[in-house]
Amino acid sequence: MAEARAPQKSLPKINPVDRPFWEGAAKNKFLLQKCKSCGKVQFFPRVACVDCFGELDWIEAKGTGKIHTFTLVRVPRNPAFKDEVPIYYINVILDEGVIIESRLLGENKEKVKLGDRVKVRYEQTHNPEIKLPCFELAD
Amino acid sequence: MRRKRVCFVGYGSTEYSRKSEEPQLGHYATAIRAALNQTGLKKKDIHGLSITTQASPDTAPHVAEQLGFELDWVLNADYGGAGGVGAVRRAADAIECGHLDVALLVGGNSFDRSVAHQRPLEYQRGNFVDVYGYGGPNSLMALIQRLHMENFGTTLEQIGKIAVAQRFSAMNNPQALFREPMTMQDYLNSRMISDPIRLFDCVMPCSGAECLVLASEEKARQITDKLVYLVTDAEKVHYQVADMLPEKTTFGMKLVGEKIFSEVKRESIDLFEIYDDYPIAVMIQIEDFGYCKKGDGGKFVDTHDLTYNGDFPVNTGGGELSVGQAGLAGGFLHVVEALRQLRGEADGHQAKKAERALVTGIGWLNYGRNLGTTVALVMERRK
Repeated sequence: MAEARAPQKSLPKINPVDRPFWEGAAKNKFLLQKCKSCGKVQFFPRVACVDCFGELDWIEAKGTGKIHTFTLVRVPRNPAFKDEVPIYYINVILDEGVIIESRLLGENKEKVKLGDRVKVRYEQTHNPEIKLPCFELAD
Repeated sequence: MRRKRVCFVGYGSTEYSRKSEEPQLGHYATAIRAALNQTGLKKKDIHGLSITTQASPDTAPHVAEQLGFELDWVLNADYGGAGGVGAVRRAADAIECGHLDVALLVGGNSFDRSVAHQRPLEYQRGNFVDVYGYGGPNSLMALIQRLHMENFGTTLEQIGKIAVAQRFSAMNNPQALFREPMTMQDYLNSRMISDPIRLFDCVMPCSGAECLVLASEEKARQITDKLVYLVTDAEKVHYQVADMLPEKTTFGMKLVGEKIFSEVKRESIDLFEIYDDYPIAVMIQIEDFGYCKKGDGGKFVDTHDLTYNGDFPVNTGGGELSVGQAGLAGGFLHVVEALRQLRGEADGHQAKKAERALVTGIGWLNYGRNLGTTVALVMERRK
């Protein structure tokens, strides 16, 4: 009988729309879409501007922002994460003015409160070509 | 929009169970059979069928074929927790247009993993949420609850009062999976799931189904002498979708409420059957509807009795929090409970005054914002 396969951490199923974002993350760049018509910056990646339906460019974000809200996940949906609980799941307002859902890492994450400054930190996944943009508290 | 000639004429429910051998279609059949028995309608009288389910092969035409319905109208009302009230709106449109005189609306789910085929997570949740080890809807609502608590000073006791009051109402509801008393200490001591969401903030996934029968006024008079009318209804889909810094503690229900209360008086509602995937979602909807200022939901619940015989009865049968969430039957439970109350058939938990009810559905917890689908209706008993 085949051995039960251990659960794997979830990875993005990269598609043509968000490929530039993931290629950017692999090079430690946080890319956002910006509308060529109205200039609106948006996240997550879409096929058109969510406001005016204009065509899109990619811009590089600074990778800094502040904690909007957070939760400590005790029961992750994917059991592959269960050894890492509690997972500090966060909403960050990037300085470019968009909300990013992500994860807070770092030794001092227990001190987190709303409004704290954070900076991006790229985590290597088990796929060598994919890095996940996470955050840590800025000093 | 104000409705003129659409009535709720019957309902049917299954028992709810944690583990069920019954396939999905069997739950539908049980709920439909109960509704047909109550109304005296035969299967051949039904020309419109709506199905709301998370089990992806169970699209409406598939279910119609399996259960043997020949139809003039079919609908897959797939709007998350807004599926129940959303299906009512669309069926009411078809009835008012004259396409139909009777429609059967069914929602349900079976959590037997061997038969349920859960649909894949939608794209942004798969690629930009699941990868971080989030905890499902519990985590997404926790983000909202923390903001409400931090920004408005809302306390756990205020949020917990909703769960405790609903449990009191559930104690005499035979359909409820949870009928034992719950104290505030039980609520506060329940296990942390995704801070600040606790176990008793969460619904119990279970198996079961709910069925509603809608009819034109003319047909309704042939079926029943308990005439319950759809008065008005409204919805908002993807409120604030283009706003990259949305107001996370205000739902699209705010705009739905403005439409609803342009047709009926806010103070004229007797019963509040408010979609309750979490107590905080109930509190936010009470605010959105203008029963108090945004942020004052905690103070509002402090000064009102939310049980079925209270001055502001919320989820008079215990809601999803105490009855259980049979998948997307969750969005039907509130309509069926309102109908039971307005017909005077809520044995053991009948509200003192039950002439007019406000019923809501919410669904689609989304990326960075809150709820994608928000919908509500008012129904009333007329002599």
